[in-house]
Amino acid sequence: MSFRKASVLPGFGLTFGFTTFFLSAIVLLPLAALVLSAAAMHWSDFLRVVSSPRALGSYRLSFGASLLAATINVVFGFIIAWTLVRYEFPGRKIIDALIDMPFALPTAVSGIALTTVFAQNGWIGRYLEPLGIKVAYTWLGVTLALTLISMPFAVRAVQPALQEVQRELEEAAETLGAGRLYVLRRIILPTVLPALLTGFTLAFARAVGEYGSVIFIAGNLPMKTEITPLLIVIHLEEFDYQGAAALGVVMLAISFVILLAINLLQAWGRRRHVQASH
Amino acid sequence: MSITLDQVTKHYAGVPVVNDVSLDIGDGEFFVLLGPSGSGKSTLLRAIAGLSGVDHGRISLHGRDVTHIAARKRGVGLVFQNYALFRHMTVADNIEFALRVRHMRARKRRQRREELLRLVALEGMDNRLPAQLSGGQQQRVAVARALAHKPEVLLLDEPFGALDAKIREELRRTIRQVQRELGITTVLVTHDQEEAFAMADRIGIMSQGRLLEVGAPHELYARPATRFVATFLGAANLFLARRTPDGIQVGGKTMGGAERFPAAPEEEVVAVVRPEEVEIAPTREALSSRYLGHGMIDEVAFTGALERLRVRLDEAVHAPLLAAGDGDGGTALQVTRTRLAHRGYEVQQGQSVAVGLRRVHVLPTPLSSFTACARSAALADALTHQPLLAELVERMKTRIAVRVEPALGAADEPLQAQGEFFGTTVIGAEGDNALRAEWLLRRGVKDLLVLPANAAPPQRVLIHWMGEAARSATLAVSASVLRHVPAEAVYLGIFPGHGDSERHSYGMRELLDARSEAQAAHGLDMRTELHFGDAAQELTRRLAEAPAQMLIVGITELKHFAAAFRALLEGGRWPVLIVQRGTS
Repeated sequence: MSFRKASVLPGFGLTFGFTTFFLSAIVLLPLAALVLSAAAMHWSDFLRVVSSPRALGSYRLSFGASLLAATINVVFGFIIAWTLVRYEFPGRKIIDALIDMPFALPTAVSGIALTTVFAQNGWIGRYLEPLGIKVAYTWLGVTLALTLISMPFAVRAVQPALQEVQRELEEAAETLGAGRLYVLRRIILPTVLPALLTGFTLAFARAVGEYGSVIFIAGNLPMKTEITPLLIVIHLEEFDYQGAAALGVVMLAISFVILLAINLLQAWGRRRHVQASH
Repeated sequence: MSITLDQVTKHYAGVPVVNDVSLDIGDGEFFVLLGPSGSGKSTLLRAIAGLSGVDHGRISLHGRDVTHIAARKRGVGLVFQNYALFRHMTVADNIEFALRVRHMRARKRRQRREELLRLVALEGMDNRLPAQLSGGQQQRVAVARALAHKPEVLLLDEPFGALDAKIREELRRTIRQVQRELGITTVLVTHDQEEAFAMADRIGIMSQGRLLEVGAPHELYARPATRFVATFLGAANLFLARRTPDGIQVGGKTMGGAERFPAAPEEEVVAVVRPEEVEIAPTREALSSRYLGHGMIDEVAFTGALERLRVRLDEAVHAPLLAAGDGDGGTALQVTRTRLAHRGYEVQQGQSVAVGLRRVHVLPTPLSSFTACARSAALADALTHQPLLAELVERMKTRIAVRVEPALGAADEPLQAQGEFFGTTVIGAEGDNALRAEWLLRRGVKDLLVLPANAAPPQRVLIHWMGEAARSATLAVSASVLRHVPAEAVYLGIFPGHGDSERHSYGMRELLDARSEAQAAHGLDMRTELHFGDAAQELTRRLAEAPAQMLIVGITELKHFAAAFRALLEGGRWPVLIVQRGTS
């Protein structure tokens, strides 16, 4: 077969076998179980659970806040990555290490820390309160928590791409008469766009699945600050396994559609590149 | 003038990477900046392009001062070594980039693009991506892109560095052709002397941030003024020779050239002999040039059109070889012969041959070699290891001799030393400096370096002279030193009395004269400062101001020295080079 090429690793048969086995055991099997468990429900029950006003509210919050968080992270992740890649300053290594902190922290700890800071009597919350801005126990807090925990994904995805943008490209553009914004728009962004999309995807995926940090700062008011994963846990605590599975399937489906869309977008971008070249 | 640089200086971390470079490049000229890596040539090019600022000096393009104008407004085209093409854009978009920035209409853009693609022989490649082109083609696109906005100046930063030999040659021709066709002033930066020869109208050679020499390729090759240029631009054998009233003597044998130095006093000089100017023959009689001595063939290498030989001169030939070939390992003479000469007289390794020199070029630089002088051999030997001296010797590709003068500095000694002094004499600063210095100066030492044990290569060299007669010599020595240390040069004009307006204008005139002479005669660009008062006091004050400074001072009469500089030498805190001229 034409896609079988000689390589240092063991043959295609063996590696493909491992790939299938791992994906099946770790990803597909549990997912299938989830879908099966939901499928055992009656259709009308399923619909009732997944389209209850409380469930709809939670989707809106979960996906809305996740998309918002991923967007924020792409913008600021780009800036952070730029600073780390382009400038040499004291403490750069420390900041670089700090980026990964949200990876290492148990998410519940992040949640508690955020609540301490942003609660009405918290360090920052108490100054925001008089301005009429409430962070803790509102959708704003949820977004904040999601932004925090998904930030490393955006930064780490963009960083290597930025490293590859040669400074010479910017200099070439500059001698050709381009101003800074023009260089950013026409040279830098197009070069790192695939990485930005990857960063967005990773950050979004992480945010959608988040539970631990959000429940502390969200306040969990039904319809208002209740995220879908929490709703699932509530169903579980009521021993309504099927209801939980049903909500899980909906989350799975929406996530899948969004991720697929982003992947297609990326593939389209790549193809456009390659096509232009033939 | 198309490009005018005036005392352009750029520092990185305190070290000048471009040091007082002044240069005029004419309209339509193809100028090549040649130098080893780290010589500052790329930094200078970037400064012209506006991609890096300068700390001092001015840059003008076509009479417009652009020193503080951003790169995008300078109207230059720049080509990089690694092409720097926009990889996500097609060839067409790359070339049209500058036109889009300028909001040119699509139809005119296309017209211009087609014109440019024709110019670089890449018609029909419009829709390719850079990744689908070969290295040579990519660089052609880069050239076309750099020319799109009709820049007044084209700058090329090692444009052939990433290409293999065949393509390089072809692209060289294309670029030269394009340049002639458009008549655009062009500056090319390279470390490859062959490339420089092949392309340049004029070459400027840089080393350690300084622009050492500028000239037409054949001029620079035949008559280099500095040893760096002599060895960097092609291969050269450097001899320590004597200039006598009879002519240039190498190894005690006169090699001609007397007519150029009539009645000059005997002096030690550095002679340059190109490998192709060395002749070998079976016997002395068979030589058509002046006989130097016999030697043994050390190595024979065939390189296509030329045969390269290394010839070790016999012990009996006292011709101190400072450097041979590319400047390293000065033990065997490098010789190149044509196929024709090879057919006429075939030689093998180990064979003894007669060696003659066809043409000897004498460097005008005054610093030939160093002699460490002390009361005991141990002291003199220790002096040869002094870091600043060792570095100077290494960089100047010269040698240190050792000379023991037991009576050095003794007051009542008759005016007699063991033989004459040649080259630069060096003494350590170890107390009674002034006494020893005077002792040597009295015995005819012309250039005397007083060196503290811990002196490091200076970052600033102060230059001063007492008496007009010392000016030229002091400037020549200063230029010679400054070609080998990356330091900034400051001429201090110090005049007695107070600076009333008449004296002030006199002083300013002196300063301007000094600066223009340094520039015209030695290619040395220096800052100038005007002071009034006591010279020794003023110099001491300036030397104490900052660490890592060196003083070069010219005197015409010993009484100057006695009057003014005893105090300056006594502490032994700074390296001081005394240039004595004009005394009988």
